[in-house]
Amino acid sequence: MGEFEVHRVRFFGLVPAGVRCMAYQHRGCRLALARTDGAVEVYNFAANYFMEKAIPGHQTRSVEALCWAAGERLFGAGLCGDITEYDLERLHPAYAVDGFGGPIWSMAANNDGTQLAIGCEDGSVKLFQVVPGGVQFEKNLDRQKGRVLCLSWHPSGTHLAAGSINFIRVLDVRSGRTAQRIMVNYHVPKSKKRECVVWSIAFLSSGTIISSDSFGRVQFWDWERGTLQDSHTVSTSAALSLAVSEEEDSIVVGTSAGATYQFQLLPVKTGGQEKRWVKTKPFQHHTHDVRAVVHTPTALISGGLDAQLVIRPLMEKVQKKSYDAVLRKFTLPHRRLVSCARKARLLLFQFSQHLELWRLGSTNKTGKDGEVLPLSRMPEHLLQLKSKGPEHIYCSCVSPCGSWIAYSTASRFHLYRVQHEGDNISIKKVPGVPKLLLPAYQLQCASDSGRLFIASDRGSVHVVQLLEPGGCKHLHTLRPPAGTREAVYLLASSADGNWLAAVSGDWEAGLCHHCTVPTYSCAVTALAIHPATNNLFISYSDQQVGLFEFSIPEKQYTAWSRSVQNSGLHRLWLERDSPITHIAFNPKNTSQILLHDVYMLCVLDKSLPLPDNNALLVNQSTLKQLSEPARHRQLHAFKICKKFQPLLFADLLDERCLVTVERPAADINAELPPPVQQKKFGT
Amino acid sequence: RRRRQELFTEQKRRKLLPEALLQELAAAPLARAEEPSPAPAPDKRPERGSAKQRKDRIPGQVKKDKAGGTRSKGNYIAVHLKDGNLTGLHQQTAKDFIRDQLYGPGTNRTSANEFFSTANKKDPIKKAAVQFVDKSWGLEKKQRAAKFTKSWVARKMTSTL
Repeated sequence: MGEFEVHRVRFFGLVPAGVRCMAYQHRGCRLALARTDGAVEVYNFAANYFMEKAIPGHQTRSVEALCWAAGERLFGAGLCGDITEYDLERLHPAYAVDGFGGPIWSMAANNDGTQLAIGCEDGSVKLFQVVPGGVQFEKNLDRQKGRVLCLSWHPSGTHLAAGSINFIRVLDVRSGRTAQRIMVNYHVPKSKKRECVVWSIAFLSSGTIISSDSFGRVQFWDWERGTLQDSHTVSTSAALSLAVSEEEDSIVVGTSAGATYQFQLLPVKTGGQEKRWVKTKPFQHHTHDVRAVVHTPTALISGGLDAQLVIRPLMEKVQKKSYDAVLRKFTLPHRRLVSCARKARLLLFQFSQHLELWRLGSTNKTGKDGEVLPLSRMPEHLLQLKSKGPEHIYCSCVSPCGSWIAYSTASRFHLYRVQHEGDNISIKKVPGVPKLLLPAYQLQCASDSGRLFIASDRGSVHVVQLLEPGGCKHLHTLRPPAGTREAVYLLASSADGNWLAAVSGDWEAGLCHHCTVPTYSCAVTALAIHPATNNLFISYSDQQVGLFEFSIPEKQYTAWSRSVQNSGLHRLWLERDSPITHIAFNPKNTSQILLHDVYMLCVLDKSLPLPDNNALLVNQSTLKQLSEPARHRQLHAFKICKKFQPLLFADLLDERCLVTVERPAADINAELPPPVQQKKFGT
Repeated sequence: RRRRQELFTEQKRRKLLPEALLQELAAAPLARAEEPSPAPAPDKRPERGSAKQRKDRIPGQVKKDKAGGTRSKGNYIAVHLKDGNLTGLHQQTAKDFIRDQLYGPGTNRTSANEFFSTANKKDPIKKAAVQFVDKSWGLEKKQRAAKFTKSWVARKMTSTL
């Protein structure tokens, strides 16, 4: 089929930020996640755990608590003292209301989602009412000295449990007074007389308060009497997070050492009435502090400072043994952070606050399959572009000829002209950038480097012409025929420059001025238009139906795509964890398509037959050993290579050359903050 | 006690003096259609000193002495800067609290290098430590060596030339 020279790039120094807090919305099966750099992401669990929305962070923003209220509204509160509502359609903080209590440490919404309670640095608990269009201050509850680190509503909405340093308070919401004050530091042995910080708290409808503190204890209190019912020490380091299931018979606790434990309310004797909380399952999925845990009806979700999101389905809740019961770990983002300039052999890496431009190395030698060739020229770090201001970068792109770099933050759009003089480069900012409606959610350069497509909100795309020697002009704005309020997050342009495909946040994929692709019930993860046949290739997040090919001139699915749907995809292809984030085409061979996700690289050959469920999907190694006629019999369309993992990006530079950008987990681990030491036998 | 009484009466007397002067000052700016200056500033002593000098001068030259203590409205603009001071301090205290609780003394923290290297050593397949050479080892020695090389090269150049 073909031999490729692979540029194996491992110098992209991406370190994702750690997970700080999470909030689960039961109705829509969505998980909102906030990271330590202020970024907020929304994962859609129904669409195969795809990260459908991402709000980039801010240097000064730190989110300490997230909650969903009033249906689909997402609120966050942080150390800057504001309650922020996030606009999930336009992907930015909509407004911020000052809490007037200093830094806000915790926030909780009551069962109806109509009231928000915040716990502040000065020890006060404030109530806010969620009204359409905003949040309104309702009243101040009783204030006592000591920062309120965690809050929990009683399911009936009449009482609030607030955890501070050394004590827990129960407040009556209607009167605002403290109904009970429980000292937590009482049961500590004399040797460790430090202050006991209650990191998280939960209030059950039976009147039991569950607290986890910095001594690594999980304690169960009776709030009316103020007595300790039960105490379990789960670890020697702090127990940082706690989550209760909806039926209130199971809780999950996350500790500083990276371990999570499940406690369940089980009867003491089978069939008996008396029940007790028992520690049932220990898990060690993380290496660093687990600062956020969520208990969904079927799974335990934990997020740690090692930037991993781990979803562990509970075996007793899973109906049948299928791929739903598997453990999922997400470290790398589901977005494309690397742009490739094919002709100039340049790579642009997008970090949160700067961009790096690298030139690929080259080699003169050739070799056999699997050989590592020596480099005649090392890869060069050409340019580091720092973004001005505290905002993080939304998106970036480099033109195929390598002479234009564009990036966008939440409030500004920057365009640069890069001159290559031999081995040196010089960069100049392009003045007079048009004042478009910001921010730009996706940038895509046309293949002839003449135009730049900027994806904006409300489904519109701006077209900007790039002029030599260094200017730009806004040509026009393409709007979708049916109005949509969501922003466009994926773009693809055709090689001849006539067609542009755009996908907006409500999963509507459309071709500008032409037609829309029939909507599917899942999010689009990657999009590309074939240079020769002008067919639109779409990949969805639900691996159940992997990819579609849509013929643009005919406005319908192609025959090959229909045959794929009819025969169905291979079982192993459908059981992949990570979404396909990039699709590329072979310029010389029109039937070959390159796809990649985090763990594999696949070249799809449309001219070969499709594999059925009994055939081996990853058969490249077996094919190499077979003879010619046997190989012809077993050949099928999916040629998968798992050698390069974990992949951030893969592209075809020309028909002989591939570039793969990997980010090994060991390299990320080396740059993480200090973990808690675990004493192991023999070290 | 009598001395104190005398001190009080003298202060009362002194207080009257700046008032009279201020009225004179106020009259002069009024002639230029400006508002009268505000009430006497708390620092009466420097005013008294300058007031004695002003009394000798011609009232028309009062304009110069405005820098002494009184000023009229309109000479300054009050700008509300982004008040990061107080909130910044609160935020910093909060961040320090979190940092001390999670990474302060008493928490059993180790570096990422040691943590993952121990894991590598305990694995069934033993691997090398994560960062075999820590760049911060022997910094002084490396710096001294670099300096020595430079001086040696310089000596060689001067001796050959």
